[in-house]
Amino acid sequence: MSGYALGGADVADTFAEAFPMRFARLVITAATGGWALEAARSATGFATSVIGCKCEAAIERTLPAGETPDGRPGIAVLLFAMDSDGLSHRVLDRVGQSVMTCPTTACFDGWPDGDKTVAMGKSLRYFADGFQASKVIAGERFWRIPVLSGEFLVADTVGVGRGVGGGNLIVAARDEPAALAAAQAAVDAMRGEGIALPFPGGIVRSGSKVGALTSKSLPATTNHQLAPTLRAIVPDSLVADGIGAVFEIVIDGVSEAAVRECMRRGLHAAAAAGASHLTAANFGGKLGEFHFPLTDLRDPP
Amino acid sequence: MSIALTLRDAPPARIDASPLTPERCNALNSMRVAQLPLRCGRTTLTVGELFRVDGYVGDTTLTLAGDLRLLDGIGAGMTGGRLTVSGDCGDRVGAGMRGGELTVKGGVGAYAGCEMAGGVLRIGGDAGARLGGAYPGARAGMTGGEIVVSGHAGEEAGAGMRRGLVAVGGRAGDGAGLRMLAGTVIALGGLGDGAGQGNKRGSLVSGAPLTPPPERYAFAVDRYRPPALGLQLRRIRALGLTVGDALIAGTWARWSGDLTELRRGEILIVDEEESQ
Repeated sequence: MSGYALGGADVADTFAEAFPMRFARLVITAATGGWALEAARSATGFATSVIGCKCEAAIERTLPAGETPDGRPGIAVLLFAMDSDGLSHRVLDRVGQSVMTCPTTACFDGWPDGDKTVAMGKSLRYFADGFQASKVIAGERFWRIPVLSGEFLVADTVGVGRGVGGGNLIVAARDEPAALAAAQAAVDAMRGEGIALPFPGGIVRSGSKVGALTSKSLPATTNHQLAPTLRAIVPDSLVADGIGAVFEIVIDGVSEAAVRECMRRGLHAAAAAGASHLTAANFGGKLGEFHFPLTDLRDPP
Repeated sequence: MSIALTLRDAPPARIDASPLTPERCNALNSMRVAQLPLRCGRTTLTVGELFRVDGYVGDTTLTLAGDLRLLDGIGAGMTGGRLTVSGDCGDRVGAGMRGGELTVKGGVGAYAGCEMAGGVLRIGGDAGARLGGAYPGARAGMTGGEIVVSGHAGEEAGAGMRRGLVAVGGRAGDGAGLRMLAGTVIALGGLGDGAGQGNKRGSLVSGAPLTPPPERYAFAVDRYRPPALGLQLRRIRALGLTVGDALIAGTWARWSGDLTELRRGEILIVDEEESQ
């Protein structure tokens, strides 16, 4: 592995490969921050990978009461899908099942400058069975859906942005505790505005490759090249000497710049937290139009 | 700098001031503005005969000043730009507006914002009858836009209203929301008698208790926080009305009606403990 040294870590001379995705930002508010968090966690649950979950979603950040449309505590979540049509279905599913059902919540469009919109309240209103009502407030239409504790207020539509999905960073260390500590430090540094880390705790244990060695029907299987336990029997293993555990961090962002700076923060934080090797996954540049060379991330954030 | 028109003397008769819109005046130079004809009773006078014309074409702002109570239709049909009026005005201020901002630092007569379709109309004083309403015989009043009145409003505010927002800092007169189709009328100082008669889907909001309770409405619930109203109260505060945090966070009673119509309308009345 050639590249450069960053703290005690060797950084590989490679790049992360990412691809375009469509995204929506939902602002979920509630009477308390706790209820907003409950709704946000539910709405972003089981949304780790488009391969198995049809979308990728995560909490972006918490919003203080002063930053939300209705002056209540809120959470911004980002939801990514491969196209607008898929995104529209996921927005309806998740807002309908996870946000509307959660006590005291309201749901707003957090990306009003999107180049297109998908329906949110415009479709969810039918749940009201004819008892829905709309209000146009400051030029934006909202729907009031009667529910058992009052009304659920939801924006008519939600803006759709062009984002970047599949940015990644691979963190390796001598053993599992060390690799996990470094990955967690990276995740803590990477979270922020415009970024979704969709896997549990932001970290992927079962990094995958496209396709399979043993089947033509499986879309993704374990990344055997990065599995330390297979190092002795896999001729193309990429696990370096002295590596006992590897974790991957997958990054979806609202822009190429957001992903790049997120990776920079993560790279430096992981190196400072004990990672011994840092690399990234790509497909030879054939799959995604966005490339993030780790050499470009050498300067600290 | 923009065009500023200052009324020289009281006009001899009522004037139709509807030609004085910012987009029209600022498409002309000050000399051409002075030559614009205005109907004054049975005669026609030019702007220059009635007003001192200052400024030059610079942006889409127009300023009117003076005792303008005999001028009707100020800002009527505006589609954009900004019109600021210093002084009391006559009837039909901002009637049929479709865009832009019209600010009156004074009171206005009847039919202000009548059949308005867009834009923002701010009135610093009181407003006359049929604020944001329909003209007699017309079915639909305001179909969009926002009207904010710092003082009180006259009778039948929002009559026939189809969409939009009318917010009154003081009290709305009798018959507010008469035959309202939809939209919202908020009266922070309370609603007069007979509010919401014939209302189909509209929302009437009273920031003071209503006695007697609204006729032809059925009590639904109290101590409830309508989330859309919270947004609307924040919006009218942003537009310049004084709205306390206690009111925004407060609880309301909902009455549904008009029971002789669709019954999809509502009157929201602040809970008494919130209004104290």
